[in-house]
Amino acid sequence: MLQCIFLLSDSGEVMLEKQLTGHRVDRSICAWYWDHAISQGDQLQPVIASPTHYLFQIVREGITFLACSQVEMPPLMGIEFLCRVADVLADYLGGLNEDVIKDNFVIVYELMDEMIDNGFPLTTEPNILREMIAAPNIVSKMLSVVTGNSSNMNETLPAATALCVPWRTSDPKYANNEVYVDLVEEMDAVINRDGTLVKCEIYGEVQVNSHLSGLPDLTLSFANPSILDDVRFHPCVRYRPWESHQILSFVPPDGQFRLMSYRVRKLKSIPLYLKPQLTSDAGTCRLSLLVGMRNDPGKTVDSIDVQFQLPPCISTADLSSNCGTVNILSNKTCSWSIGRIPKDKTPSLLGTLVLEPGLQRLHVFPTFRLGFRIMGIALSGLQIDKLDLKNLPHRPYKGFRSLTRAGHYEVRA
Amino acid sequence: MAPPGQAQRSSSPSQPSGKGEVSDLKAQLRQLAGSRAPGVDDSKRDLFKKVISYMTVGIDVSSVFGEMVMCSATSDIVLKKMCYLYVGNYAKGNPDLALLTINFLQRDCKDEDPMIRGLALRSLCSLRVANLVEYLVGPLGSGLRDSNSYVRTVAVIGILKLYHISAVTCIDADFPAMLKRLMLNDPDTQVIANCLAALQEIWTLEASNSEEASREREALLSKPLIYYFLNRIKEFSEWAQSLVLELVAKYVPSDNNEIFDIMNLLEDRLHHANGAVVLATIKVFLQLTLSMNDVHQQVYERIKAPLLTLVSSGSPEQSYAVLSHLHLLVMRAPILFSSDYKHFYCQYNEPFYVKKLKLEMLTAVANESNTYEIVTELCEYAANVDIPMARESIRAVGKIALQQYDVNAIVDRLLQFLEMEKDYVTAETLVLVKDLLRKYPQWSQDCIAVVGNISSKNVQEPKAKAALIWMLGEYSQDMHDAPYILESLIENWEDEHSSEVRLHLLTAVMKCFFKRPPETQKALGDALAAGLADFHQDVHDRALFYYRLLQYNVTVAERVVNPPKQAVSVFADTQSSEIKDRIFDEFNSLSVVYQKPSYMFTDKEHRGPFEFSDELGNLSIGADAADTVVPVHQVDANDKDLLLSTSETEKEDGRALSSNGSAYSAPLYDAPASVPASQIQSDLVNLTSGLSGHVPAASLAIDDLLGLGLSVTPAPAPSPPSLSLNPKAVLDPGTFQQKWRQLPISLTQEFSVSPQGIAALITPQALLRHMQGHSIQCIASGGQSPNFKFFFFAQKAEESSNFLVECIVNTSSAKAQVKIKADDQSMSQTFSTLFQSALSKFGVQ
Repeated sequence: MLQCIFLLSDSGEVMLEKQLTGHRVDRSICAWYWDHAISQGDQLQPVIASPTHYLFQIVREGITFLACSQVEMPPLMGIEFLCRVADVLADYLGGLNEDVIKDNFVIVYELMDEMIDNGFPLTTEPNILREMIAAPNIVSKMLSVVTGNSSNMNETLPAATALCVPWRTSDPKYANNEVYVDLVEEMDAVINRDGTLVKCEIYGEVQVNSHLSGLPDLTLSFANPSILDDVRFHPCVRYRPWESHQILSFVPPDGQFRLMSYRVRKLKSIPLYLKPQLTSDAGTCRLSLLVGMRNDPGKTVDSIDVQFQLPPCISTADLSSNCGTVNILSNKTCSWSIGRIPKDKTPSLLGTLVLEPGLQRLHVFPTFRLGFRIMGIALSGLQIDKLDLKNLPHRPYKGFRSLTRAGHYEVRA
Repeated sequence: MAPPGQAQRSSSPSQPSGKGEVSDLKAQLRQLAGSRAPGVDDSKRDLFKKVISYMTVGIDVSSVFGEMVMCSATSDIVLKKMCYLYVGNYAKGNPDLALLTINFLQRDCKDEDPMIRGLALRSLCSLRVANLVEYLVGPLGSGLRDSNSYVRTVAVIGILKLYHISAVTCIDADFPAMLKRLMLNDPDTQVIANCLAALQEIWTLEASNSEEASREREALLSKPLIYYFLNRIKEFSEWAQSLVLELVAKYVPSDNNEIFDIMNLLEDRLHHANGAVVLATIKVFLQLTLSMNDVHQQVYERIKAPLLTLVSSGSPEQSYAVLSHLHLLVMRAPILFSSDYKHFYCQYNEPFYVKKLKLEMLTAVANESNTYEIVTELCEYAANVDIPMARESIRAVGKIALQQYDVNAIVDRLLQFLEMEKDYVTAETLVLVKDLLRKYPQWSQDCIAVVGNISSKNVQEPKAKAALIWMLGEYSQDMHDAPYILESLIENWEDEHSSEVRLHLLTAVMKCFFKRPPETQKALGDALAAGLADFHQDVHDRALFYYRLLQYNVTVAERVVNPPKQAVSVFADTQSSEIKDRIFDEFNSLSVVYQKPSYMFTDKEHRGPFEFSDELGNLSIGADAADTVVPVHQVDANDKDLLLSTSETEKEDGRALSSNGSAYSAPLYDAPASVPASQIQSDLVNLTSGLSGHVPAASLAIDDLLGLGLSVTPAPAPSPPSLSLNPKAVLDPGTFQQKWRQLPISLTQEFSVSPQGIAALITPQALLRHMQGHSIQCIASGGQSPNFKFFFFAQKAEESSNFLVECIVNTSSAKAQVKIKADDQSMSQTFSTLFQSALSKFGVQ
């Protein structure tokens, strides 16, 4: 049971305070938290025992969401709830930052009021909230100017709360019925210095954007569901059809939502390779990186970039590449953005690192993080078979896309 | 409210600098209050926004309370909401003004818009002013009967709020019974869930004073109710589902079929998108199958994949919470997860707290089949840029080495670390090599060869230095220049800031001395001298102890300092299995994250405030916070201190002390049987209270009981020569009286007398005979129960130096007060000890 939620700016200022129970949590806890956070640095844990309260904290876009409790409670509930609050706010306000929260604090208060009462989370379903509290978008501003009704509050109560599909707006109407299904995959891979693949795994999501009138019933099936290791569903998915036939049957929420997330383990092929070479001698170290295709996925790989942290013992670095741009940030992070791999040459980066005086050889080695994006393919090999729609007056437009990008794609030196 | 500094810190230029702006606002609000002009709502809204924003940044705007209430007559819902928010914030501090708001809130509770009805009711209940509760009962009652479910959900929680303001009013109005009816009959699941939450809280709190309430609380766990909730589980919101599942986890099914039914029903909850629901479901599964061993194992198999998915899908914060739970499971069933070890490989840019948990899991799942891969992976981290991570990984390698039987490959890796020539890597590795040698002495040749090459100058961290010194002492016969290294370390005694290192240095040089006496003798002398002069109590005491031990008997000293050692088979676990079980029972709670059962950090009610540690005295806490529980950190710190200070040293010295902090008294009972236990205890109490519970107190007590002749007050002189008394001393009463008048009192002390001694004092003559047996003669005695007074004297064996003693024994307090006068003042301390030991044996033989 949460007792209070604070929103702190990136300088530790309290931007918002929402007391939830009779036990008032004093603001000084924020000052304590802030000191603690500074002293802990990047070792700060999400669940902290302060002398007076247990604190849950998440940081999103520089804003700290801090919740206090004094009673034993499921920690994931606290953290998950804060994550949802952050998501809902970002969704409502079109992003999260200090200014947008300060400008819209009344809406934030209103949302919090509906999301949690007396410390019990009530509803975090964006669709329901949207029916209770209108988002501060341009349309509603226009509308208020035209009609003279400036309330951002909807006059009617959401009917969905009484409906058996609580996630769906009651009876939306669209002139163009359309539904888009996106497979978005992230590849996590760890490659050792000798090129062996230590670990390779894909985390994927099925994202659906639905603009359908009425109460449609959808079934989505995959060509090869057996490759999935584990799945998680949006509450709208009926479990039995999945269990018996691996079919996703659901009444979708309105708008964008995550229908399902999944994991595919033990993949063998990775699209890109990176060959790092570090040789050090007499106080200097030569670095050479080569990036190239390992297994051609058949689609263009773009937005390729390489990031790495120079070891602290390096005093100066001189890096140059034959394609793309190389930047060294003040915190010794190097980024090399390549974009696409040119047809005629292999992107390579050469550099000389000068070690701090007194050091002969380099003992610590950076880890190279590789980023990329491949449109039009899901690297796990998952394929959508078909999408059926029932309960619809008109034939809707159906769109499918897939995308793979690098998650934690690391190469060790 | 916030301190004034807070207000100034906010940098926005629109912030008011002082009271002027607030009074401006006040005037503007007053102007608008009565106005009905068109557009007035918009200007009100701007003003309200300003007020709320001041409130948010921590400026006290309670002075405009009256004006805010006056302006609240509006149909604009946003205005109303802001007004409610304001009123809710300041009502508690202004109970008189709060009365003003009752009227408009009650009116709003009857509004035709359900949204307004609900909001007004919520605000009404949030005023939390005790003398206004009478106004709550009516609106709450009608709120419960409202046709709109939104109002009902608000009303249910409102009743819980009312209960916290005034429990009597809530019970008198029979609200709990109404909630129960609502819970069983309402069509809306959110209403049901809120009823459940409210009733659980009310009945738990009431259970202590009312039997009915405790019966009702039990009834929440009855089969029909649980089934009622379970059958509708999919209709509940995700948060309500977690609540229901929490309840189901406490339910005890009557037979196995029921268990399987419930599990089948909840199976799909494991795929829910909300991690809180998944974890709550897992808890149900684990709790239900606790008694069915095979099924319990199957459950582990079943929940593995959902947990691993949760770890890789959410934000790092979520992963952390899930990983803590996974960690608990991995510790319980490492074999089950041993094939999934790759999931616990760390990614470079994960937060440290996630990596640390993952490392712990890697150590837990390591077994014969995967150790090689895991250690290879850990070695990668050790070479990485991230220093804290490198340290943790080295420790992890060490832990794996200690739990494996085939350590061949790991030892090589560890020794490679030493060759990496990085200070922190060397430091961590040394500590590990030391532990490794304690468990696997057979590896000493390989390790010592490498350790011997490390220059002690490159090792600065106390723990590492201590480890290195330990190895120098333990393996001094194999390490060629061990005595010289030790000698150079002792030369720099003054610069050594860590008492732990100095303690180890003393022990090591002792060990070295017994193995290579001629080379070490000088170093030993220097070390003992430095140790005796040390300001640190432990160091001083240990030096003194060694000194006297050597003086007493060198062979005994060797037996004590250098006993044949057995390899440590298992290092003591930091957590008892009982505590681990307890944490497991509290699955899906903070206990798991903190890795201690909740009774260690919350009070028994699992609610309400707890005692706060002093550095946060400035945090204001509700004055109703009365329960006292010792702050967690403190207990923990104490425990650790005790553990650290006893385990290392005592084990090495071959003592039989257990490493448990609370077990100080245990070895004492093994002390010579002739010493009665009760006396030991009282002695111990005396000593410890005198020395504020430090470890030296305990060791002093032990020394004392072993008859080593150490006194309670640390002797300033390092070497009192031994004292033997003339068994046939003579002194005539006249000389005694004269001397008694002339000599100053050189010592006053209080001893305990054993109960047997007190019993034997029925005939004071017995004491005289007893003391005579110890060459202490009585010259006069007198008094009656409970106070006896004796005058004793004694003479040194060779010379005619006298000791005069006045001893008053109080039989009811079992204490003896002793005044000693002596010709040779310097010997009085030694004599006192002799006297005490003689007295303590009285009545025992």
